Formats: sequence, C-alpha cells, structure tokens
Amino acid sequence: MTPPSRPTYSALTSSTDPGRQRLDRLATASITVGAFAVLAAILAIGIFLLWESLPLLSLAGTFTLETLSPLAWGTLKAALAAMLLALPIALGAAIYTALYMPPRLRSRVKPVLEMMEAIPGVVVGFIAGLILAPWVERHLASTLVLLVWLPLSTLLAGVLWHSARQSLRKRLPFSWAGLWLTPWLIAMTFIALWATPGVEHVLIGGDLRQWLDQQLGVNYATRNAMIVGMAMGFAVIPSIFALAEDALADVPTSLLEGAQALGATRWQALWKVALPAAGPGIFSAVMIGAGRAVGETMIVLMASGNTAIFSTSPFEGMRSIAAAIAIELPESTPDSSTYHVLIFAALVLFLFTFLVNTLAEVVRLRLRTRLSRMGDRG
Amino acid sequence: MSRLWPWLCAASVALSLLMLAALLTLLLTRGLGHFWPATLESVTLDSGEIIAGEAVRETPLPHRDGEEQLYFTGNRDLDGNRWRWVAIDHIAERGAPRTLVRLERSPWGDFIGYLSAFESASERLEGDAAWHALTAALAHPTRERPSATLVLQSAAGEMLRQPLNEIYRAHRPNAMSWWEKTRYWSQGVWQFLSEGPRAANTGGGVWPAIFGTVLMVMVMSVIVMPFGVLAAIYLNEIAHQGRLTRLVRIGVRNLAGVPSIVYGVFGLGVFVYGIGSSLDAWFFSDSLPSPTFGTGGLLWASLTLALLTLPVVIVATEEGLARIPDAQREGAVALGATRLEMLTRVVLPMAAPAMLTAVILAVARAAGEVAPLMLVGVAKLAPQMPVDDEFPYLHVERKFMHLGYHLFDTAFHGEDMQTAIPLVYATALLLVVIVLVLNLTAIFLRHHLRHQRGQSC
Repeated sequence: MTPPSRPTYSALTSSTDPGRQRLDRLATASITVGAFAVLAAILAIGIFLLWESLPLLSLAGTFTLETLSPLAWGTLKAALAAMLLALPIALGAAIYTALYMPPRLRSRVKPVLEMMEAIPGVVVGFIAGLILAPWVERHLASTLVLLVWLPLSTLLAGVLWHSARQSLRKRLPFSWAGLWLTPWLIAMTFIALWATPGVEHVLIGGDLRQWLDQQLGVNYATRNAMIVGMAMGFAVIPSIFALAEDALADVPTSLLEGAQALGATRWQALWKVALPAAGPGIFSAVMIGAGRAVGETMIVLMASGNTAIFSTSPFEGMRSIAAAIAIELPESTPDSSTYHVLIFAALVLFLFTFLVNTLAEVVRLRLRTRLSRMGDRG
Repeated sequence: MSRLWPWLCAASVALSLLMLAALLTLLLTRGLGHFWPATLESVTLDSGEIIAGEAVRETPLPHRDGEEQLYFTGNRDLDGNRWRWVAIDHIAERGAPRTLVRLERSPWGDFIGYLSAFESASERLEGDAAWHALTAALAHPTRERPSATLVLQSAAGEMLRQPLNEIYRAHRPNAMSWWEKTRYWSQGVWQFLSEGPRAANTGGGVWPAIFGTVLMVMVMSVIVMPFGVLAAIYLNEIAHQGRLTRLVRIGVRNLAGVPSIVYGVFGLGVFVYGIGSSLDAWFFSDSLPSPTFGTGGLLWASLTLALLTLPVVIVATEEGLARIPDAQREGAVALGATRLEMLTRVVLPMAAPAMLTAVILAVARAAGEVAPLMLVGVAKLAPQMPVDDEFPYLHVERKFMHLGYHLFDTAFHGEDMQTAIPLVYATALLLVVIVLVLNLTAIFLRHHLRHQRGQSC
C-alpha cells in the first residue's frame, strides 16, 4: 500500500520567480496545517473520552463496574453470536470465490457480496426485530432445523453430483455451484419448513417453544441473542468476506500449482498451502469483523430486547455497550455520574476497536509484502 | 469427505446471495406493494355480523385447529379498532362489492365502507352521483375544495357524517381497472415521497425526512471534502514517506473501524455540550435557559458525520493520488512548475474522479448512519424545516428529520405499529435504494478509473 518514496519536488523546481515561490510555500504550509487539523481532530476524540472519564476515579469503583459488567457481557454475547454465524459463511464464501470460481464470475459476484455491507444497520435491525423475530418465535423448531439441515443438504447435493452422469456434471460445473445451488437451497428450505411442524408434533406433541418452557424451563424472549446473531452475522459477513478473499486471492498461484504438481488434491493444496500462507490475512479479516460486531449499535438496539441481564441462554436478550450509550446518553445530564460512566464505556469501545483494527492492519500489511515477495520468487 | 468440503464453501456463497436477494425482495414487494389498491372484502360471519376490510394475512389459530384471517377494517372512530381477527370457519360469506369505498382521512385514519350521500350547500347526491361528486371534489387542490359533508355507512350499518376537508384520497378498489390501479399506485408513491407524515407517522409521506437527510449530507460534504482532500494530499504528496507517515496512515484507516456511536458521544460532548453551550452563553444569552446551539442540531450532526466520514474520504482520495504515475509529476516539475502548480494543474485534475468517488462513498456511509444522530440532533418530528424563507434561510441550529431515524422511530416507538409497518417497509426500501445507488455509482466510477489508466501504473 505504501507508495514508494519520491524526491521532494520543490527542491527540484527551477523557477526563480519569487511570487510563485512564495505562493507555493504558502500552499504547502496551508496543506500541512489542514492535515494537522485532521490529525488533531482524530487525537481529540481519544483525549476527550479520556478526560471525561477521569471524574470516575473519584467515584466509588464498584458503581462503574456494576453498571458496565452486564453491558460488557451483552456486547460479547452479541458479538459471539454474530461471529458464530458469520465466520463459517464468510470464510467458506471467501475460499470458494478466491480459489474455485472462474475469474469472470468472481468479478461479478464479489461486488454483489460486498454490496451487503452498504445496507444500513437500521434496515437490517428493522427486519430482524419486527419481521424475523416474530416469525422465528412462531417457527422456532423450523429455524433450528434449518440451521442444521441447510449444511447437510449441501453435502447431499455434493454426493448426488459426484454420483451423477458426466454430461450432467459438465452442464452444472462445480465452479458455478455458488450460483446454481441457490435454487437447491430454496427448495431445501421449503422442504424443511413443510416437514418440521409434523415431526415436531409427533416428537414433542406441539410447539417447541412451549415444550422448552414447560419441560426444561427455558425462557424464550422474542428478541434474543439468536436473532441478533443472525442479523449482525448478516451485517458482518461482507467485511470478513472481502478481506479474507483478498488475502486468499493474493496467494501466488505458483504455490498452489506446485502443491498440486506434487500430488496434492485441490482441497489439500488449499488446506495445507493456501490457508497457512493467507493465515494472517484471514486473522485480520476476523479481527475487523469482530470489531464491527462489537461496535454495531442499531442492530443490537432493535433486535435484542435491550434487557441488561447476565444470561448465557441464546434465547434471551441482552443490552450492549453501544446500545446503552445510544439510549441512555441523550437522557443523562452532563456531569452526572451516569454521563461519565457512559463516556467511559465509549472509551472502552474506542480503545478496543482501535487496537483490534491496528493489529489487523499491521498483520495485513506484513502479509502483503511477504506474499508479493513469494510471488516474485516463483 | 474431503471432496465434499468445497461444497459447503460453495453453499456459503449461495446462501449469502440468497439472503441478500431475500432481503431486497422483501423490501421491494412490501415497500412498493403497500401503495397498490388492495381488494376490499365484505365478510358475513356466522353470527350475522358484517365486516368490511382488506385481508392482510392468515395464521393458524392459537388454541384449536384451523386458520384465522387478519382484516384491516379501519373505522377507528366507530369501534376503536383498526384490525380484526376472524376465524376462517366462522365466515359464512365473502364478497367484494364494487361500491365499497376506502377513504384516507386525517384524524381517524382510513374509513372502509359505503358512501350513501354527498351533501353540499346546494344539493344532496346519492349513489353513483355521490361518488362522481366526491372524485370531482378531490381532484381540486385541498384549499379550493367546496365545503361539503359525506354521509357514510359502515359495513355493519352504522351511519357517519364526515366533513370533506378531512379527506385526502378516496378509491373504490373493487371497481378499478388495472390501468386505474396503476395510476392510483403511482400517485401513492409520489405522495409518499412528497408529503409530510400525518396521523403519528402511520400515514402520509417522508418528504421532511428525505429533505433533512439530503441537507445534512450536503452540509457534511462541504465540511469533510476540503479537510479530507488536504489530508490526503499531505500524506501522499508532501509528507516524508517514513515510519511516522505510515503510522498516521494506519491510524486514519482504523478510524473507519471505530464504532459510529463513539463519534456520536464525541459530538454530543464536544460540539453540543462544549462548543454549543459556550456559543449560547456568549451570543444567545437572552434566550437562555432554552438552548439555541447548546442542543442537538443540523450543524452538530453534520460536523459529527464529517468526522465519521473523514477516513473514507482520505483513503479513497489517497488511492486515486497513488495511482497517478510519477512521470506526470516529474514532467510538470521538469517544465518549471512549482509544487502548487503541479498539484492544481496536473495531479488534482487527474485525481478528480477519485475525489468524486470519495464524496459519494462518504455520502453513502452518512446517509445510512443513525446511531450518532440519535445523540446529536435528529428529531422524530421537526416542527420547522431547517430551510425556510426567514433570514438567514438556512438554520443550522434547528433539529431535523432523518430517513434512518424516522424508520427506527416509526417502527419501535409508534402507537400503532401494525398500521405503520407498511410505511416502514417503504422507508426502508427508499433508504436502501439511495445507499445502493450511491455505492453502485462509486463502484462504477472506480472501475472506470482503473480501466482508463489501464496497467500503466
């Protein structure tokens, strides 16, 4: 990313017109001032948050801890739920797009997937909180079945494909499977939705949600961690996907070809060569995704029910730090202790995401130079 | 087994595409479908009761076998409800009489029933003549309508007298042809885009929110562009490319990953409570304690979002600057240009598409951002537009409405969520369309840019 260093042009300028020289120096100075104003603004964020958190030191420490710990737990729980859903999908999609897709298709599919990132969080939150959550509450069993059935049905598709005739396999090549599997998945979804209520009735004699409540005493909140996980997973997938895909696509093809020439299958070459080579890049992708999941406000606010409780159940809600700030800060008076606690919470978010992102960025830059060197040698 | 792993990867792509398509389809069908005049049913129950309304959805009955149907019946002034659940097996007869009328009114929401008479000062019309008189009266702009009263009859037979000036639109969906329905639909979409909200956000349009969003984004661009471009020029053209510059670059990039709510906290603490309160104390002390600048407003929101989009602008501009071959700069300098002349005559014109991309990306990011705005100046219903004919015309201290916040507020804090949801879908669709179109433009520009330069750099 770093452009090569270049000579300072003003030193080379042959002009001797003092007016132009003065103007040039003035412009350089003002550009520098502008740039430093930007830097100052960036630093000001950190300094302001620190400064406004300082009064907390004089307060009793337990107050801060008591207010913040359920929020911190809620944040982690939401982020964890989102990552559980997003990681497999994003990494799988990255591997397939980078290594199996024909380049022309890849150049079409990648921007479409990255477009997911542009969908505003408030829209995702609305769909999750008001449409998806009541639907899942009514079809809890079907939802859980879908989470297992969709991967299984894909494997089924793979088995069928491998045992199919050669002509069919030519017509539906694996490199296009990312597209032609969509109707298959739709069909499988409908099968699951159609079959589950009957099976549910036979096995537990009614609704899974009531059964959970009566037999196991599991409380089910309409807006819960599972819903947040699905919605925020959807929002985080594109950022993980884009970075991981870049890292995998940067692995020099000579490495993969070498491994395959030595007798490795395509999957072995991927698993033993490409993934370790791109490992740091994938790590930084995951870090950036986690940072986004921790800081996302609107989705958690709208899909989580906002109850600040300690609970490990995926069927109960939570309140995250970001959501708490959005709800409580406008209502707290400046200089009250709540105000300072919330600012401290913002500081925690700021430091956490800043550190995570810096780490990810440094790792990514290192990897990039390493891989380009490898590619040169090959 | 190892032959099957790649299939899971392929399915991930398929699933992601599917989720995106499902989301967009849902928004498109619900958002646009709401404006389509739906068939009105007249339903006779076993008990002899007659209701009229629009069938919304069917769900299984909670306590016994069978299905029940949700009807939107309107007429809140008659029975206090807008919705009615009916068990399907309790329905004796369903029909769609052509004379059923749906009126959009201001205080009580929609009326569904029959029009029995149209009473003006001079005459009383009944039957089809009443309907023609009503449509003719509604064709005039609101202020020029004659004063008249409608005599309405609900499906159950209750009579109601309704002043004409409270009515916005009227239609008889069961008697409309496809062409009329399409016209009615496009009128509905236009009203949604051009009118203000009414009846606690359950009706009307989102024009003030569109206006507020656009204005806020414009003020933000005016603030963020000069600083972003200056910083990018400094980083790429002037600064010594050493360790420090690299660190600054990484820092700027990472700011893009800092949660937007943190920027909101900064905006509230520094702009609103810090700068705003001081401004109030110095210049607007006669209107204290009611704050002028010491509360959220358009200016503070724009400044906060400018800070938020600064990294986007810097990164995109710098990318464009880095793509310009050094030969261009060397050529300019060799011909005797100073650095300023080289920048303004050669580098910046070449980087113009990159800067355009930067501003589009910044606008796209800002248009969809809601969390920081909740802290620094968005309003659920702004009494005054931030632009009017009073000096100084642009009132940057006023609160404003925003599409994203309007969506959040209508969906989660409305009194009647059921009625509001179709409009929320439409708002969400509008927001997504705006953001996606902006992003597509940026992608297209960037693509075009790369191809234009080719492999030369």
